[in-house]
Amino acid sequence: MPDTIPAPALPVGHYGYDQVDRAFLADRVEQFRDQVARRIAGTLSEDEFKPLRLMNGLYLQLHAYMLRIAIPYGVLDSRQMRELAHIARTYDRDYGHFTTRQNLQFNWIKLEDTPDILARLADVDMHAIQTSGNCIRNVTCDQFAGAAKDELVDPRVHAEILRQWSTLHPEFTFLPRKFKIAISGSPNDRVAARFHDIGLVAKPAPDGGTQFDVFVGGGMGRTPIVGVHLRDDLPEEDLLAYLEAMVRVYNEYGRRDNIYKARIKILVQALGTEGYRQKVDAEFAAMNRARYRLPPETVAAIRARFGTPDLHAPDDAPAQLDRARRAEPAFDRWVRTNTHPHRAPGYISAVISLKPAGGIPGDATSAQMDLIADLADRYAFGEIRVTHMQNLVLGHVRQDELHAVWQALRGADLASANIGLIGDIIACPGLDYCSLANARSIPIAQKLSARFASPELQETIGPIEIKISGCINACGHHHAGHIGILGVDKKGEEYFQLTLGGSPGSDASVGQILGPALPEDATVDAIARLVDAYLVHRTGDERFLDTYRRLGATLFKDAVYATA
Amino acid sequence: MSDVRNNRREAGGSSVITANRLLDGRIVWQVEEGTWSTLIDDARIIPNDEIEAAIAHAAGRQQADGLVGVYGVQVDAEAATPTPVTVRERIRAFGPTVHPDFTPAAEFEAHA
Repeated sequence: MPDTIPAPALPVGHYGYDQVDRAFLADRVEQFRDQVARRIAGTLSEDEFKPLRLMNGLYLQLHAYMLRIAIPYGVLDSRQMRELAHIARTYDRDYGHFTTRQNLQFNWIKLEDTPDILARLADVDMHAIQTSGNCIRNVTCDQFAGAAKDELVDPRVHAEILRQWSTLHPEFTFLPRKFKIAISGSPNDRVAARFHDIGLVAKPAPDGGTQFDVFVGGGMGRTPIVGVHLRDDLPEEDLLAYLEAMVRVYNEYGRRDNIYKARIKILVQALGTEGYRQKVDAEFAAMNRARYRLPPETVAAIRARFGTPDLHAPDDAPAQLDRARRAEPAFDRWVRTNTHPHRAPGYISAVISLKPAGGIPGDATSAQMDLIADLADRYAFGEIRVTHMQNLVLGHVRQDELHAVWQALRGADLASANIGLIGDIIACPGLDYCSLANARSIPIAQKLSARFASPELQETIGPIEIKISGCINACGHHHAGHIGILGVDKKGEEYFQLTLGGSPGSDASVGQILGPALPEDATVDAIARLVDAYLVHRTGDERFLDTYRRLGATLFKDAVYATA
Repeated sequence: MSDVRNNRREAGGSSVITANRLLDGRIVWQVEEGTWSTLIDDARIIPNDEIEAAIAHAAGRQQADGLVGVYGVQVDAEAATPTPVTVRERIRAFGPTVHPDFTPAAEFEAHA
């Protein structure tokens, strides 16, 4: 594409690797290449090999191997996106799947190709380490970090510090269970901080520095729990020490006798918030604080490895955007639904919906990935963000160039105007791919998004979050859905249980089961009746969630089961 | 795969044996000892009172056959062709329902 913004020396939006990072990754690839060769030769059994492949993100799923690639804090650059597109074309089936952990999965990978794929990823400073196993997983982050108008602190530098701290942490490689951290710097929680093992919200400290709200013990899965607020004043310099203490307490006291009770949420519930806090404080007090101190100089050094966008828009950029919106109603609608206010004058953040009507949530073809990389280079400093809602974001787009971005996206079926609306459905891979699943998630999402395809209808219905999981592990976040759908197995057949009233945000809540599970062919109609009931009973522009909270479950239960 | 969902077998029923190929992870079905097919239609149907021994035998040679995760799948006695009784195994046998091009039958035809 012409007129590409010159690439800065460091990538905008994420940490730029140095030679130490690259040498480590190269060694790791060769180590795995040897392990794969030994597995194929039979000198490693499957039982011996399985934990080794999982440490490199390689799962054996229902139809083939699946490779889960880490996208730290959900930020990647155009060079990395193009490499993902190349891998999709060359080694997979021409598409990739963006996940609710801001990662990317390839569903049709061959074991024998995996070392070469990892080598290609290493060439663009990517890997699949700690995308599986009972370790600290990829740290997720606000998709509008560093751009959002409502943000108080850009959390990505701290996310990178947590990434470096947790990567191959010798003490935390074999925790009782997997461990997920999310970080935001906005008072409006867009990372589901309260549904993570640890949720952090960065904010300005009274002394002008940075401090953190700390939530702990949130989670979904078999036992959905909203995390507790552990403290609101964690100083930046104690960030690593305190998290080290938090995870140490979990590592020592977390249950290892029952996989279903092994997450930190169970420990926090068992000890009580105060009991857990006391143990953490005791551990913290006993630590060598000097060793774990995070000094401002270190933070500055990490920050210096981030490229910075040069944000200068023409003075009339907002006026140009206004004119384009008035001229084209479809563009105006997309701007209403798919953009987010930017901190810099004349800029805006654009959300690329990976949820076309009838499509597979989170999937992108290699051609789409290449196009998005080109658009990022042309219009957004080469930076792309992945959202936990399975969409993509161009964080820094000049308002006078937004129409051109939209036109390019529209030509590639990437301009569905549905962010935050009923078509913006989270769905896990479900039984079409996942060996853990009990039921298919994707077909329900496809049918729902096709049924509610009309952009006008979606805007009329307003903000509503539907989230679908194919099993109780809840990768589709159904517990946090305004409408949650959980696939269950009844004697080998698929059924779907509905939950209402969940929310992932600052008003976090766990959805409540509405009633008996429904057969697959009745589920979409039931959701449609739920929506109809909401439209009848809402007041003004009340969200579905608020109508449910005001009126309770009864009328929705009647809508679903009276004719079911 | 030691998944409880794979052990639902009824007395008097019949099963087939399945696994994933080690090199590419693809699903295969046992045709006869040492021979495996990506098409369940080719699978040998074994009475359930013989299936455990047959699974054990196949599992014993899975490295030699380039396989991983050998187990048995009950099939519908009424169906004209081998058809698993559970939706999970039907999706394994007939491919993801969301990508018709990726079904084993479509791939077989594409390469025929």
